[in-house]
Amino acid sequence: MKFSWRGRSRRDAELDDEIRGHLALAQAERVARGESLADAAFAARREFGNVGMVKEITREQWGGGAIWLERLMQDLRYALRSLRRAPGFATVAILTLALGIGVNTAMFTVVNGVLLRSLPFVQPDRLLLVSYKQQNNPWAREPSLSDRDYVLFKARTKAFASVATFSGGQVTVTGAGEPVRLDAASVTPEFIGILGVAPAIGSTFSPDDGKVGRAPVVVLGDKLWRDRYSADPGIVGKLVVVNGIANTVVGVMPAGFDFPGHAELWQPTEVVVRPNNTWSRPVVGRLRPGATLEQAVAELNAMVPQFGVFPGAQRQEMAAEIVPLKQFVVGNVERALWIFAGAVGFVLLIACANVANLLLMRATSRQQEIAVRAALGAERPRLIRQLLTESVVIAVVGGAIGVVLALVGVQLLVQLAPAGRIPRVEELRVDGRVLLFTAGLSVFTGILFGLAPALRATRRELRDTIAHGARTISSRHGGMRGALVIGEIALALVLLAGAGLMIRSFARMRAVELGFRPANVVAMTVDLPRSTYRDGAAMQRFHQSVLDGLAALPDVEAVGAVNWRPLGGNLIAGDFQAEGVNPSKGWGDKMAVTPGYFRTWGIRLRGGREFTAQDDSTAVQVVIVSASIARKFWPNTDAVGKRISYEDKPTAGSWMTIVGVVDDVLQEGVRREPGPALYRPVAQTTFPFFLEHMSFGVRTASPVATVAPGMRRVLRIVDKDQPVQKIATMEELVASTTLEPLFQARLLALFSVLALMLAAIGIYGVLAYSVAERTHEIGIRVALGAQARDVSRMVLRRTLALSLPGVAIGVAGALAVTRVLDRLLFGVKPNDPATLVVVAALLASVALVAALVPARRAARVDPVIALRSE
Amino acid sequence: MARKDTPLSRIELLQGTLDFIVLQTLRWGPRHGYGLAQMIRASSRDVLQVDTGSLYPALHRLERAGHIEADWDTSENNQRVRVYRLTTAGRKQLAAERTKWEQLSDAITGIMTPPPPAAEGET
Repeated sequence: MKFSWRGRSRRDAELDDEIRGHLALAQAERVARGESLADAAFAARREFGNVGMVKEITREQWGGGAIWLERLMQDLRYALRSLRRAPGFATVAILTLALGIGVNTAMFTVVNGVLLRSLPFVQPDRLLLVSYKQQNNPWAREPSLSDRDYVLFKARTKAFASVATFSGGQVTVTGAGEPVRLDAASVTPEFIGILGVAPAIGSTFSPDDGKVGRAPVVVLGDKLWRDRYSADPGIVGKLVVVNGIANTVVGVMPAGFDFPGHAELWQPTEVVVRPNNTWSRPVVGRLRPGATLEQAVAELNAMVPQFGVFPGAQRQEMAAEIVPLKQFVVGNVERALWIFAGAVGFVLLIACANVANLLLMRATSRQQEIAVRAALGAERPRLIRQLLTESVVIAVVGGAIGVVLALVGVQLLVQLAPAGRIPRVEELRVDGRVLLFTAGLSVFTGILFGLAPALRATRRELRDTIAHGARTISSRHGGMRGALVIGEIALALVLLAGAGLMIRSFARMRAVELGFRPANVVAMTVDLPRSTYRDGAAMQRFHQSVLDGLAALPDVEAVGAVNWRPLGGNLIAGDFQAEGVNPSKGWGDKMAVTPGYFRTWGIRLRGGREFTAQDDSTAVQVVIVSASIARKFWPNTDAVGKRISYEDKPTAGSWMTIVGVVDDVLQEGVRREPGPALYRPVAQTTFPFFLEHMSFGVRTASPVATVAPGMRRVLRIVDKDQPVQKIATMEELVASTTLEPLFQARLLALFSVLALMLAAIGIYGVLAYSVAERTHEIGIRVALGAQARDVSRMVLRRTLALSLPGVAIGVAGALAVTRVLDRLLFGVKPNDPATLVVVAALLASVALVAALVPARRAARVDPVIALRSE
Repeated sequence: MARKDTPLSRIELLQGTLDFIVLQTLRWGPRHGYGLAQMIRASSRDVLQVDTGSLYPALHRLERAGHIEADWDTSENNQRVRVYRLTTAGRKQLAAERTKWEQLSDAITGIMTPPPPAAEGET
């Protein structure tokens, strides 16, 4: 490389000599013919033509790939020089683009890490989820199969080499330091093998593991193995106590393997079909080599008629689908992420429009320079290339700064995001693909904003300006500048409308009637292992001890417990029979509560009474129903005193008397309707499944932060081996259900503020420039008697001429685009007119504010100075 | 390039024709660029005026192709000049071009009756 460059410079010198020789000979001949030395020199040069151009074309004949490189270097040098000469322009343009490219790089880093990068499994694109479930089923949100369908599918599938079910949950691990709750997975034995990940130590499950009667085994995750078992290389064969049961360790997975969720250990399970229970779990399969997705879909569809239907659902509400495994990991963030990616794209477009405007204004002042270069023989393509090189240089420098901004931005984004809501967050980083994206985006951006100005600036008639002043031509750019600003305003309006909708939607969510009063309530959830607490009675004794301890804490107003607390994520719903009404069959959430539950959580009693200590196992069976059940079955009479049964064919002993009616409660967060609910006293509940998971609540007058340690202490005194699954104030828990919408609203608001800012700068720039450009004209007007008011009005008219079409196009665009937000919105339609009116007004006022300074400047034009400045 | 109006009708060379002319002219002996330009003009009775912007690229192109070679020499008035001469390959090329040219020339002559000058077209 170096050598060829040296060769090149030698040849350059030779070419110079050769041409010098040519000129000398021509001149000598003319002198010999009797011309004067000066005339001869001039004529020889004239005859020869443009030396620089001849050299350049000649050099091209030398060939080699270096010619374009040489030209590029030349263009680059030229671009850098001309940018150095205009530091103000360069700084503003570079920073504007750095902002635009920075937010795009940050967003792409997230999109790349979450959506694009493949899962860390063998041939992850061959891993699919098989699902047949009720659409919009609140307790089967993920793609899943019922156990019965899974067994059928597993036996018959030909498209899949192997299928497995898995479900995440939490377990208690004791015997290795403090008792601890961990994320764990319960999987069929094939599961890990299907993913194709080999254990770091030992083996995974054998086909019979998990079956009844087999010794319990467990596979540990790398983190758990290191944190709790000091990375013991001989761990295989040793015992680990999970939920009070000793499990033999068969293997340890490598670092980074934590699927599903953030599982730290895996336990084998066997899928057994039970006639009265419908479990639904995600099912993953690996396609057989050569099998296609289409075959798998066809196979699933063919099996659908033999599949069962969810209780309470119609067959037409059920949907069969096969989706990539990635969807399980990525979940519902995909849509939001693409929306944000689109939003930052808008920001970048606005940034581009601003820089294009700057370039257009600059082109006016460079008219002379370009005209001179053209007259000196620069061809139009060459001029365009040079101008484009300049814009690409601006964009690439902006992009480089943008990457730095993105590094910070991604950190901010992750911190701003609700914890655990961005999947694969630990995989987010600026990698090669991100850098490639940014580099490509920068070059594309440079051409995008540079092309139109470059084409305009090099138009022939503009190049002919060498003789005129630049002033006459400049106003021709006015139309294009106006169009760019109108576009900016429209884009900013669409973003603002999106942000406005998200904010309104969030406000609606926060205003939802919860059915309970979350203030001053602290909830502590505990899971009891059946190995230690073998029956309902043992669990009830535990509950009573904890409640007694909690009641003795200072400043406690009420204590109570519930198995499925509101917003707890766990819920059991089922059907029931009402006595003496038709239809008699109903459906509702089934809770077990202690007497203090309603008072503690602040759930209003509408009629009848709460449970008391007298409602125990020896007393008459009682139940409290929520208002919607009372309304549905006994619209005209008091539900209190009526009877219901949980049995399909109620026996005499199964009837329970309704003693009270309470408000409906939002069990599942603000997006779900408050549903019908049935409450039973814990003391009358014997089935351990309804008692092992319990949330204890304390309503307190003292600051909640001081209560939590006391609650933990109570638990430790009652049973030192039971860890707290979760302890939090109900207010925090309510807020956490809207964290994601809050984050989305904030993020969109941030982007739209950026957009608004850039648009305001754009409007200001164009107006300020047009005032400066028209100083002469304004001077004449003022000299002819125009008042300052008239002049300001002229500027304001121009502002309106830009902002009104911008707002109109923006509103139309918003109506077309905000539909993508539909599924993210709550309680507000994507075409909400109030939001549109507000953002349109906001944008129009921002445009007017941006116009103030230019308008004032125009009003102050001194005709004497303005006319002299010509 | 700014336009130079000249009373003489000058012929824009057909693409590739200049290479042929250069080779043909060098058949009479080595020349430097200026000399070549003068000679082409003279031998075409001032009809062909070779632009330096075409001549030098043509010379360097032919040199790269190996049809001509260049050496530094000193002219009568002590000016260092680059002198081009035909190579063996260049002679072969010239012969081939010549045949091609004659065929083309015949063909055009056949089309145009009465026969026009060597090539057609006005600037």
